[in-house]
Amino acid sequence: MGTQRIVLGLAGLVFSATTTGGAGWALAAPSVETITRNCVVCHGPKEAGQAEIPTLANYPAKKMAEMLAGFKADQKPATIMNRIAKAFSDEQIAAIAEHLGTK
Amino acid sequence: MTTRRTLLETGLALSAGLALPRIARGASPKVVVVGGGFGGGTAAKYVKKFLPAAEVTLVERDRQFVTCPFSNLVIGGLVKMEQITHGYDKIAKRGVEVVHDEAVAVDPVARKVRLKGGGVLDYDRLVLSPGIDLDYEGLPGYSEAAAEKLPHAWKAGPQTLLLKKQLEAMPDGGTVIIVAPNNPFRCPPGPYERAGMIAWYLKKNKPKSKILIFDPKETFSKQALFFESYEVLYPGMIQWIGGKQGGKVERVDPQAMTVEAGFGEEKGDVINVIPPQRAGKIAQLAGVTDEKGWCPIDPKTMESTKAPGIYVVGDACIAGAMPKSGTAANSQARNAAAAIAAALEGKPAPEPSYANTCYSVVAEGYGFSVTGVYGATPEGIKEIAGGVSKLKAPAKDRDLEAAYAVDWYRGIVHDAFG
Ligand SMILES: Cc1cc2nc3c(=O)[nH]c(=O)nc-3n(C[C@H](O)[C@H](O)[C@H](O)COP(=O)(O)OP(=O)(O)OC[C@H]3O[C@@H](n4cnc5c(N)ncnc54)[C@H](O)[C@@H]3O)c2cc1C
Ligand code: HEC
Repeated sequence: MGTQRIVLGLAGLVFSATTTGGAGWALAAPSVETITRNCVVCHGPKEAGQAEIPTLANYPAKKMAEMLAGFKADQKPATIMNRIAKAFSDEQIAAIAEHLGTK
Repeated sequence: MTTRRTLLETGLALSAGLALPRIARGASPKVVVVGGGFGGGTAAKYVKKFLPAAEVTLVERDRQFVTCPFSNLVIGGLVKMEQITHGYDKIAKRGVEVVHDEAVAVDPVARKVRLKGGGVLDYDRLVLSPGIDLDYEGLPGYSEAAAEKLPHAWKAGPQTLLLKKQLEAMPDGGTVIIVAPNNPFRCPPGPYERAGMIAWYLKKNKPKSKILIFDPKETFSKQALFFESYEVLYPGMIQWIGGKQGGKVERVDPQAMTVEAGFGEEKGDVINVIPPQRAGKIAQLAGVTDEKGWCPIDPKTMESTKAPGIYVVGDACIAGAMPKSGTAANSQARNAAAAIAAALEGKPAPEPSYANTCYSVVAEGYGFSVTGVYGATPEGIKEIAGGVSKLKAPAKDRDLEAAYAVDWYRGIVHDAFG
């Protein structure tokens, strides 16, 4: 089990004692495949690009990591990615970029 | 009654080796999905994707699915009904057997689903995504018959067009009343997006008209953003009467065309009643609902805590911090499909990652959103991060979000039905 546990606080939020029933809770990290299936809903599957939302097909991994880190830190202009990127730890961002991006 | 028979069957099945995962016994596992909406379409497609050996059957009453998402835009005139109507051919092409029938009973012990047409389907795992039933008794004066005069339009289709027609027939200077429900209900921002879309139509066609929203709640989803947008786009046209101002409607009268609330009795030319709701009836028949009519689930797998082998996704389930939305249903279904595939292969369930996004479009070129990423905890599904669009954002951002909403729509329809 516990190979890849992250504490939620790392992912940007620490739940208060009231919402956790006294004890902070740790969350086993979902796989990068599981996480990135949620991206497709907006970005489209690789074979079908969208009209306005930038496609993630053939996207360089390095640039993706930079973009996601920038969104997370509110340093890149965004309407929504700033809110989404804050859910992920720096390690998860690196893994997402490696999984979806091209070398 | 059936206990003896089902016990016997279970005994037989056990001796035949039910303790082993299905796959290990060389049989193809059977997965039945009831409800071909956002949750059910996604679940059927992804179970087949994750476990191609599974026999997946999708049971859906209707031949075509009309999405609630963007149905407010149909009412506003920005989108046509055909554009939000989808078939099941693509899911069928993926190897899912699509059966157009109604599930009328579930035996969770013998693991069978009975269909109205007389058929019986065996299952190893069952997914229920029946959406909502409208609780007509929950609002005095309202009924299925009354909905022909006071449309709910909370299930998209003929009701959507009825509300649209009534607005078109209304005289300029008329009053539109929206009766909003208490929590929990399908699509928390929906009634307020609808007010915006109705105002969009009225501003162009009947600018002397007004909209009253009667609401038992004191706050609602994206409230500040909705109020800001009403102010910018439709000054003076939309009035919200919340719980504190007596907004809770006690009774509606389809003959007199009135609503009665603590605020007073109000007459409307068009009255849109969104009644209280509960999980679709088949969930209740399967015995997976709680006393309030919704389905408790294991936050990690979406499996019912009331009946092993049955997974409940979408509006029907109690998903902690997640709202009842199409995006939530889609994401829950994908994670449930992964848990089902793992269970059938005798593997532990993978850790889920849930997501929600609801765009609201209140005028052409004016949209905003709420989004969240969620995780499973022992106490339920909780939000890891998320939030709503910025208040007082530049017009360019509202315009972009309206365009992104269209991409989101295309993307989710592809993921659920494509
Ligand atoms: C006006 C409005 C606007 C909305 N806008 C958005 C939006 O912009 N974004 C968003 O994310 N969500 C939106 N929603 C919410 C969204 O529509 C629902 O949350 C979503 O449809 C839930 O999916 P589901 O699978 O639980 O149910 P549904 O999508 O309703 O699917 C249930 C299906 O099950 C079938 N069914 C039920 N019982 C049986 C049975 N016994 N046998 C066979 N078939 C059965 C029904 O026919 C139906 O097709 C909106 C809702 C409304 C009302
Ligand atoms: C709700 C829709 C939505 C979801 C879900 C979503 N994105 Fe985005 N994404 C956008 C939008 C819209 C933009 C444009 C920037 C903005 O306005 O936030 C964007 C921009 C991006 C960009 C920068 C593209 C560029 O070159 O400008 C990257 C990289 C990205 N997203 C990755 C992801 C990943 C990875 C996920 C899943 C973890 C994801 N997105 C989930 C909507 C979404």
